Amino acid sequence: MLDFPKNLHQLHFFEEEGVLYAADLDKAHIVEISAVIANILKLSETHTAEEITQALKTAYGEDDIHQAFQTLEDCEKQGLLFNRGENIKRIFATKSERRKLLIVIPGTPVDAFFDIETLHTGTNMALSYMVQHLPKYVDIHFASNQNRRLTDQMYEVDIGVNDLGRLSRKIAETYFGILTLHRTHEKWLLPIYRHMELPPILVQTHAPRGHAGNTLNSILRHYAAMRDFDAFTTPSDYVGQFYSNYIWDASFFNTLPNGVDSTLFCPMDKEKAKLELAEHVGDDRIITHPTVGYLSRVQSAKGASLYFKLAALNPHLMFLIAGPNLGRYASRELPENVIYVGFHPRETLPRIYNAFDVYCFLSMSGEETFGLTVLEAMACGVPPIVPNFDGVPSVVGDAGLIADADNFDLDIGPFVSYPSPIDFSEKINQVLNDDEMRKTLALKARERALSFTWEKTAHRILLIFEALHRKRLLVSPNRLLSVFAPQNEVSTPRQQPLTYKSILLSTDTHYDHSLMGSAVYSQRVEDGLVLSLLKNHTAREIEAILAEFITDETQAKAILKRVCGLIHATS
Amino acid sequence: MVSNTHYDLKRHRKFEHEGDKYVVDLETGNVVQVNDVEWDILDHYGTQTSYQIVEQLKANHKVTSIFEGIEYLERLGQRGVLLHPRDEMPAQPTANWKQTQRKPKLLVPFHFAQEESSHDFITNLNRYQMLTHLAKFAVLETLKFSKTGQAEQERQTKQDFGEDIYIRNIEVEEGHTRAAAWYAMNEYDGILLLSQYLTDVLPYYQVPNTPIVHCVENTQNGQNSTRETLLDLYGHQKEKDTLVVNASWLKTWLDEFELPAKRVHVINDGINVVETIGRALAKQQTAAFLNKPMFAQHPVVGLISGFQSHSGVQFLSNFAKSNPNIAFFVYDSFLAEYYHNPPDNVILFSAEDEVIRAILPIFLQAFDLVCFPAIPGTPFSLVLETMAYGTPCIALSQYGIPEEVRGAGVAVKSEWDGLGHFHVPCSELSKTVHQWLKPSSNRTKCERVATEVIEKYTWDRAAQQTVHLFAGEHQAQNDNSRRLRNMFPLIFCRQYEPGTGTTVSRAYQTRSHRYESLENTLAEELAEHHTSAEVEFVFRHLQK
Repeated sequence: MLDFPKNLHQLHFFEEEGVLYAADLDKAHIVEISAVIANILKLSETHTAEEITQALKTAYGEDDIHQAFQTLEDCEKQGLLFNRGENIKRIFATKSERRKLLIVIPGTPVDAFFDIETLHTGTNMALSYMVQHLPKYVDIHFASNQNRRLTDQMYEVDIGVNDLGRLSRKIAETYFGILTLHRTHEKWLLPIYRHMELPPILVQTHAPRGHAGNTLNSILRHYAAMRDFDAFTTPSDYVGQFYSNYIWDASFFNTLPNGVDSTLFCPMDKEKAKLELAEHVGDDRIITHPTVGYLSRVQSAKGASLYFKLAALNPHLMFLIAGPNLGRYASRELPENVIYVGFHPRETLPRIYNAFDVYCFLSMSGEETFGLTVLEAMACGVPPIVPNFDGVPSVVGDAGLIADADNFDLDIGPFVSYPSPIDFSEKINQVLNDDEMRKTLALKARERALSFTWEKTAHRILLIFEALHRKRLLVSPNRLLSVFAPQNEVSTPRQQPLTYKSILLSTDTHYDHSLMGSAVYSQRVEDGLVLSLLKNHTAREIEAILAEFITDETQAKAILKRVCGLIHATS
Repeated sequence: MVSNTHYDLKRHRKFEHEGDKYVVDLETGNVVQVNDVEWDILDHYGTQTSYQIVEQLKANHKVTSIFEGIEYLERLGQRGVLLHPRDEMPAQPTANWKQTQRKPKLLVPFHFAQEESSHDFITNLNRYQMLTHLAKFAVLETLKFSKTGQAEQERQTKQDFGEDIYIRNIEVEEGHTRAAAWYAMNEYDGILLLSQYLTDVLPYYQVPNTPIVHCVENTQNGQNSTRETLLDLYGHQKEKDTLVVNASWLKTWLDEFELPAKRVHVINDGINVVETIGRALAKQQTAAFLNKPMFAQHPVVGLISGFQSHSGVQFLSNFAKSNPNIAFFVYDSFLAEYYHNPPDNVILFSAEDEVIRAILPIFLQAFDLVCFPAIPGTPFSLVLETMAYGTPCIALSQYGIPEEVRGAGVAVKSEWDGLGHFHVPCSELSKTVHQWLKPSSNRTKCERVATEVIEKYTWDRAAQQTVHLFAGEHQAQNDNSRRLRNMFPLIFCRQYEPGTGTTVSRAYQTRSHRYESLENTLAEELAEHHTSAEVEFVFRHLQK
């Protein structure tokens, strides 16, 4: 039973051909209602259910009233008619001092962004940090299924993914942009790109490949479907470079480096950190031996097998593993010098990092675009050693060592690389045997980590949205008309097959003379094809078509460039 | 390319709430917030053309805003909101002219003064005659543009259009850039195009839901470009549009270029036949009039042609010289102008005014035989007119005897390259001419059949056939090749194949979340804006 009094959405009642309707303006949907429901709705903001029943029982039977309440309960579950959650009137405010950003990440409860311990992946953690720093620049509204004030700058709003299209104009009036997260199997976003009214959509993507090509294909679909003023963010330049092997316009990939909380993750007294960890796990070897750290899920793709090989190669060093559990390795005979130090909450992680003399990042999956733990280790002044693949070296710069890796031309399972155990081993010993080098790298690592801040990340998001708004202003409607026709070539003998051409008309779909004078212009079929398809499809979709039919990529790119130029020039 | 106006307005309800305007799609339950111009457009959409909507609303809204409003509503329609795609080609706005037994109202965008000068007299005369007779069966209207405030003056100076065509005066403001075709959306049952100037006519093909009958003139000076023009026009044709040529060989010729026969109709010009004076008297009068006694003494062979000058001179010179005992009366506008020293047995002629045209039947009646090349540019109506006086014909043709003259003559196989070069085997033609000049039962039979053209080729019949084409009954009613836009977007994208590390391009269907064949979906997408013929052209090109 609904808990009356209840606040209503903005409703408009009307009757059409004897049927009563309530138009829910906040959800852009109508509900067919009976007279008793109409009367309940009129009383619902001021009366209790009991009072409503009393007031209506002279006019309606008790069953009718009961059934009406049940119908209204169903409507509320669907998000219709009633305000869900706190009474926040007018989500869609058109005037506001601060810009608003709508964050749409279906399936992740809003509270999870503020309880970082529940977030197990680097992707979600990164998003959580960004979200917490964004309010400095913009108000944040989380699309959800209820209204709730989180802070003065953060709200949860009752906007589902199915509402986005219906409410596109209101959303455009209210929000500066839509921020979302790419998920390989998510299907709601592709149709949304077709709503030209919606503000720019920025899609955060962290994994460039993996999952047997599914991630890559998903990104390729989004790339094709995106409007000219939508974009991806990726944690490192590597992703854009990687995708430039498959697409023509890598500018849709904007590098958005992660940050690090350098106050939390900071250098500490290493001896003390080691001592505390040794006491915690009951193994004094942590104090007496140089330590090599690993902090990740203990999985093959994250380099666990390789890490154990390194331990076997270096019995004089202690290999400390921090992770949720040992996974499938728990039942194995691990080298004697491997110490599992357990799983630690984020606030105590800096102590774990500080217990490492060197940090090994060994992941070889196709999802490593940044390596958040590398940056955290660096912030703690721990020299990192990372394999030379994907985006991780760009995080390390000259503040650590880059070990050789055999990068695969094709994904094999989740693997895209195999770092060299020999080179890793040599570099570990190089750092641990050279105090000067280790100290220098530790200082550099900290210094470099300080340049990666979440505030910068949040600010960069705003800058990207601003750039997308500028692109939006330059979007040109394509109203040019063209037709295809056979070509009459004087030199073509009679029985030769016809050749074909496209004809560009000087009149557009508005019957305006968009070109100089009254003329018809012959052009290549491909140009006409592109011109025509650009009416309902993006330049990235056309790119895919041209790539299939024209083997010379330079020529294909030139066609797309000139047709787009023509459209811009004549709009 | 065809305009995409395949939408009907659904059952809806408009209302205002706290100063904002909304419209409810009563079928889907969607509530759409609209702006002032969209609000007003909704009062007219579906029952009026874009032209009418703009005309109605332009006093209160900017024209571009009205167009954008229509575009926005149609974008909603693509997603199934407020408008719904029609299942079939829309009915013509006034398609029931036939049912209501009224005359169809046809727009004839005809720039008389400009085009008159580029055609020969007979072509122009035929046009006027066609329009005069068409006016019996249709209401004809043409467009006249004048700057604001000058309309009255223009109206007075344009009386030479005649009384058969109504003139619609359109006052346009300074800086007006709207194409003339825009005004064709005003409740016409059809558009009759008579020009081959593509820049003038192509915009009319963008007018939605209005059938076009395009009569292609058989002009001599456009012969080189006729094929290209016809092929271009064919690309433009929508399902209910028709290309009309005035000789069957043109249709056969176009068939070689794979233009489907259903899109091309043959409507022969009407002919004007005077009371006969008899061949003997006609020969005497011709000889006297031309001061060429041989026309009374020798067989007279008429050659009615539309040769390009280089081919014509060469052929005529050889043929006339090898047949010195035949008098040749050549009706050819180009040769009459450019061939200055023909053999003595040749007279070159062309009617340049009404007076000369009035005496032409005397010459035509003098012919013992009429020859004509089956090429664009030959004034075929004069051939038929000659035959009406009982004269058999010899068709110089690539395709055998044309059906119009079947049973009334014979064909001599000739070669034409589709451009200016025409080759006639002179010895065979000479042999055939001599054979047919002799009396024979075959010739007698042909003379009788030839006279039957009088009943078959009248202007009234030509006009009625033309009007009939606007009814569209000769065409399939539905254009099944045109796919309705799916509410779920289709995305063309690359697909990575992990096995090979390569990508192929496919179409991703967001409804089924599957990849589909690129070619099939591309064809469907193109069909949104292009005719099925155009789509075929594109694929033939790509497959090369």
